[in-house]
Amino acid sequence: MDQQPIVEAENVTVRYGEHVVLKAVSAAFMPSRITAILGTSGCGKTTLLKTLLGLITPVSGVVRLFGHTLADQDSPASVDMLKKAGTLFQNGALLGSLNIAENVALPLAMHTALPRDVIDEMVHIKLSQVGIPNAAYLFPSELSGGMRKRAALARALALEPPLLFCDEPSAGLDPVTSAGLDDLLLTLRESLGITIVVVTHELLSIERIADSILFLHEGSVLYSGVQDQARKAPDGPMHDFFARRELAAPEAVDETSDFIVENVA
Amino acid sequence: MRVSIIIEAVTRYAKIRETMADIHSSLSLEPEPIIRLPEHFNRDWVSSRPAAGFSHDKPVVLDFAGVKDIDSSGISLVHVLKRTFERSNQKIILRNITRPMLSAITAVPQPVAAVSVKLGERFPSSVGTATLAVFSVAASALSVLTEMFYWGTIGAFKKLDMKKGALGEQMFQLGYKALGIVALLSMLIGIVLALQAAIQLRMYGAGIFLAPMIGISMIRELGPILTAIILAGRTGSATTAEIATMMVGEEIDALKTMGINPIQYVVVPKFWAITLTMPILTMLSTATGIFGGFLVSLAYLDISSSLFWSQLSQNIFIKDVLAGLIKSIVFAWLIIWVGVFYGFRVRGGAEAVGRETTASVVTGIFIIIITDALFSFII
Repeated sequence: MDQQPIVEAENVTVRYGEHVVLKAVSAAFMPSRITAILGTSGCGKTTLLKTLLGLITPVSGVVRLFGHTLADQDSPASVDMLKKAGTLFQNGALLGSLNIAENVALPLAMHTALPRDVIDEMVHIKLSQVGIPNAAYLFPSELSGGMRKRAALARALALEPPLLFCDEPSAGLDPVTSAGLDDLLLTLRESLGITIVVVTHELLSIERIADSILFLHEGSVLYSGVQDQARKAPDGPMHDFFARRELAAPEAVDETSDFIVENVA
Repeated sequence: MRVSIIIEAVTRYAKIRETMADIHSSLSLEPEPIIRLPEHFNRDWVSSRPAAGFSHDKPVVLDFAGVKDIDSSGISLVHVLKRTFERSNQKIILRNITRPMLSAITAVPQPVAAVSVKLGERFPSSVGTATLAVFSVAASALSVLTEMFYWGTIGAFKKLDMKKGALGEQMFQLGYKALGIVALLSMLIGIVLALQAAIQLRMYGAGIFLAPMIGISMIRELGPILTAIILAGRTGSATTAEIATMMVGEEIDALKTMGINPIQYVVVPKFWAITLTMPILTMLSTATGIFGGFLVSLAYLDISSSLFWSQLSQNIFIKDVLAGLIKSIVFAWLIIWVGVFYGFRVRGGAEAVGRETTASVVTGIFIIIITDALFSFII
């Protein structure tokens, strides 16, 4: 079966000033799969996610969403592509000046010609889906971290996109709320066939939800494939990551030579 | 005689002792200074003993025999001493140390040395970096300006990402809520200005000229500039703070990923709101300023109200009113441009929001005054 990837990065290089964050990264995200982008802090996971979303322009390489190159964000083609991709940001990124219902309704109001009462009903359905039907008229500042993430997920799903990007959905959440979010992502994948790209550190979450793994190390792809293989990786950063081991220092320095040590007990 | 012999003997003995002491000191191997570390080699102990002040002639010995625990300040002191003695090619001696403590001390990697470049070498690159930074700031400021005008006018026909009712809401926030402060301050300035002028004019019996003087000043200069300065402080700062907070909270990114143009969603309603309300506020400011002058002329100069208004109407021309209105619109665009530019420029957290907001107000007021000076030559 020859499936086309929904999202594709080809030789993407991103730099902040002199610092190269992503080094010729190539990756393909297949439909109806949950792919976890993993790696230690600072390896370029969030940068890759933002590049896939068109928020960061790579210095070289190409990003394709649904087979089309993501160029000018305001071009009708790009807007159409972005409408098909929902994003759950790490802190929710809900608009503070709007209440939860207005936040969820925003993409519907902007991109559809649906009547207001239908939009209101859709908002209620989305909020119920994520388990916070009673939070509609609260403002983001009045919600807990977990509720904010659920509300942001409801907004990301408002246009029923076939693709969902999640930046550390479980970060800062208690295990129960975190597991609830995982269940929600699995349900979305199973019932609606949504392709999900998740940036996460949570090993339990990865184990439960990820079909595929994209492991980044120092800005390069170290592994791309199924999770079982990733967990069997021999010694190295990926093995250390799954074994929750601290990475070895780049070079061990024997500093005892800097001191004269007498009578070590 | 006997006494002098005794004195001589004592003096000789003292000299001999002195000489022997010199010889002894030159021959003996004086032991290294030993610092006997306390049971708790921690912050309290380190705070009371500065690392400096040790002689560098001989290596210092740190005796850990009595140390039961060490914290990071103790470890830091050891490394500070190590580096101090390294400068005179000496090594410090760690004596009677336990292996865990030795591991804790030696586990600290070398700190990264700060890159220090000589002034002569640094100067050309600093000039280059500063020049590039100036061009970069100018380019991004122009980009914000063109985007604001484009999406607020022609771009709106291409796509319109404005929330329903956003323009009215912004007009209420930027215009209606500023009515009171603009009116009050302008009237007070009008009163002060008129009072100062009236004192001088009355001395020459020229009080009648107060009406045209206050009228022209308020219509051409003070009305527009007072309103602009009040709005630069009020609206400019609010715009920067709002956008900067949205940047920090990834709200702007969220809008982009939803296919919503943040300039149209956030900036365009403010742009049109200030463009429409600023001339109205300027007219209000002018009117209340003139009214302040009128009150002074009534109370201080005993000029009748009909004479004041007739003098005013005879000396004010339509070009004066137009000059004030044109200025007000240009000032409105400057305020929103500066506010938006600094808002989108923010990088970092809450501290950056405060910094950019302050910079926005200062720059806004500065640009308004410069532009006003330029206007004085043109219209």
